Amino acid sequence: MELHISSSATKAENFSSAQLFVDPTRHTTAPLVTGGSVVGIKCSDGVVIAADTLASYGSLARFQNFSRLMKVTDSCMLGGGGEVSDFQEIQRLLENLITKDFCFNDEHIQTPRSVHQYLGRVLYAQRSRLNPLWNSLLVGGYAASQSFLGVVDLYGTTFESEVLATGFGVLLGLPLLRKAYRPDLSINEGIKIVEDVFRVLFYRDARSINRIQVATATSAGVTISEPYSLETKWDFEGFVNPRSTYDESTW
Amino acid sequence: MFLTRSEYDRGVNTFSPEGRLFQVEYAMEAIKLGSTAVGIQTAEGVVLAVEKRLSSPLLEPNSVEKLVEIDEHVGCAMSGLIADARTMIEHARVEAQNHRFTFDEAMPVESLTQATCDLALRFGEGVEEDEDKEEEMMSRPFGVSLLIAGVDDKGPALFYTDPSGTYIRWLAKAIGAGAEGAQSALQEAYYKSMTLKEAETLALRTLREVVEEKVESNNVEVAAVRTDTKKFVIYTEAEVKECLSRLENRDSQ
Amino acid sequence: MWNASVVAVPATESIQRPDFMPYQNNGGTVVAIGGEDYCIVSATTRLGLGFAIPTRNVCRYSILNNRVVLATAGMFADTVTLHKVIKARVKIYEEQQDKPFELRSAAQLLSNTLYYRRFFPYYTFNVLGGLDEDGQGFVYGFDAIGSGEKVKVVCNGTGQALIQPILDNQVERKQQYENKQITNLSLEEALDLVKDVFTSAGERDIYTGDAVDICIITKQRGVFVETFQLKQD
Repeated sequence: MELHISSSATKAENFSSAQLFVDPTRHTTAPLVTGGSVVGIKCSDGVVIAADTLASYGSLARFQNFSRLMKVTDSCMLGGGGEVSDFQEIQRLLENLITKDFCFNDEHIQTPRSVHQYLGRVLYAQRSRLNPLWNSLLVGGYAASQSFLGVVDLYGTTFESEVLATGFGVLLGLPLLRKAYRPDLSINEGIKIVEDVFRVLFYRDARSINRIQVATATSAGVTISEPYSLETKWDFEGFVNPRSTYDESTW
Repeated sequence: MFLTRSEYDRGVNTFSPEGRLFQVEYAMEAIKLGSTAVGIQTAEGVVLAVEKRLSSPLLEPNSVEKLVEIDEHVGCAMSGLIADARTMIEHARVEAQNHRFTFDEAMPVESLTQATCDLALRFGEGVEEDEDKEEEMMSRPFGVSLLIAGVDDKGPALFYTDPSGTYIRWLAKAIGAGAEGAQSALQEAYYKSMTLKEAETLALRTLREVVEEKVESNNVEVAAVRTDTKKFVIYTEAEVKECLSRLENRDSQ
Repeated sequence: MWNASVVAVPATESIQRPDFMPYQNNGGTVVAIGGEDYCIVSATTRLGLGFAIPTRNVCRYSILNNRVVLATAGMFADTVTLHKVIKARVKIYEEQQDKPFELRSAAQLLSNTLYYRRFFPYYTFNVLGGLDEDGQGFVYGFDAIGSGEKVKVVCNGTGQALIQPILDNQVERKQQYENKQITNLSLEEALDLVKDVFTSAGERDIYTGDAVDICIITKQRGVFVETFQLKQD
């Protein structure tokens, strides 16, 4: 790699030329450290969302114990994928929002729906400045005896659904979630379903890990589990001998 | 009477201890010096008539303009400081066209009156404006009163505005130096089922009663917004003459 | 990614990383038909993204008042934003002017709002339908930057090429083999036609499917919404 720098260039000039490639003030036009899928499902008495604990640096499994779930309020939780630094910025924004409500001491608190809408406007505003917050976010919550589950992406797209997934989870997880969904699911059944989804993701998504966290929002509030590992099974015939299942022709 | 108002009549934004804004009240006084204007609303439309003070025979009567169009469906008569009226009317015209541009329809008369009045008390500090726009601010209340006449979806309407920015709807209203006499004359003669023609003669008759000079076709202006056409039209001198002869015929009867 | 192109660089020039593309196509089809005394405005509910369907149930229409409905296909984030802007303007209008917002005012407002963003458009394809001042059903179709016209029938969005010619044929009686008498469709006939064209478009357009929200606007009932299921494949 050779840079065309005039021979009279001083070291300082040399450095500034090199800066052209890594300009620290540059907008996020591509993510660097990234989190993978987040999945969520509504249950009869609450909502479950889950994420694995990996933050990748390109194809490198860089941070393996990074929490991508956050408790926003007692009734609202957030899961994020995409650029990790942008996610941390979003966490700071939400903490400020919640702190301000706390300081007003007027009993006003953000609802899951308002947090979702707020993030939608923030991410839409940033994409409109061509400086996106490079994330896909899941907002889950349980307020006024109502489950809430919504998604926001880096374009500011917002919508709600009974089952949601981001990243690879849209392709590998959503069909499983749609199949498993029933309006009368219990929280424990919900947890079981998202665990299955992450097991599948771990088998096929190279930017994933079998260590996950699960967050639940119920009338009892929001709880985020400690990270734990999923049991995996590698002695499927198709894994042991891919040719036996004609697996060689698939992606 | 004015002497006792010292101290509190200087700042335009300062209330007196009795809760009065003297500069605004003084501005209302300015209108009482202005030429007389009357407006009459009927089911067929709204008539406006003003006196032109022709202080010299050398003055070109056509150049005295106290009836103006705001939009094709709204017109305005003014009394007081005519230069101040220009500012307000310019604002009103922009509002009316902006409404057409945005909504593809004529602006309702009341909203247009409201938009005109929005300017009225915008003097002093602390008015939020576009920073790069540097809009010049008024340093005193407008010394003018307007009669805004128009026709919209709700039918004909006549509004009266004063320097405080208040606007009120009237069936018949007189402003200017002869307002007091004219108003009582209107009150006596007005009736709701009046035709537009009758309103024209009433307007001119009222002016004739309060104006010092003899009312002639060159020293009064008449205009109307008809309900059927929804158009503001200023009468030609010949049309004014016709109205005046009608008035005289009525007198001789 | 970007450093793959680092070879030789003039000291004065910087290497551009791939620019962020601020647009996304979420598909969707919207159809509107104006009849003698009714108007139908309909929009699909599928949100597509590439070959995936992130959700099957989004709302692409807004009821502006009891006689005007707006429906939008294209990028969903822009759709939501545009609808918020228009609804806010309508609310302010109705408070300030103290009268209902007319269809043609909505058309003018929408056109201006879209053209205001001429050089960074809302990636949205709109139809506006309702009853005009005379109680007649009319619709407007717009492109992303505000060009539009008042017509009797229009389709916009990913299914446009599949649906518009059929509507031209069946509603306006254009391009017919025999010059048949122009007959105004009844509300029931128009409703059946809408259901048919969406069903057909759903067979060939991957962004059209799941369901279609159909808003029926009449003087008597105001806006009445029904949902018609389409195939989920």
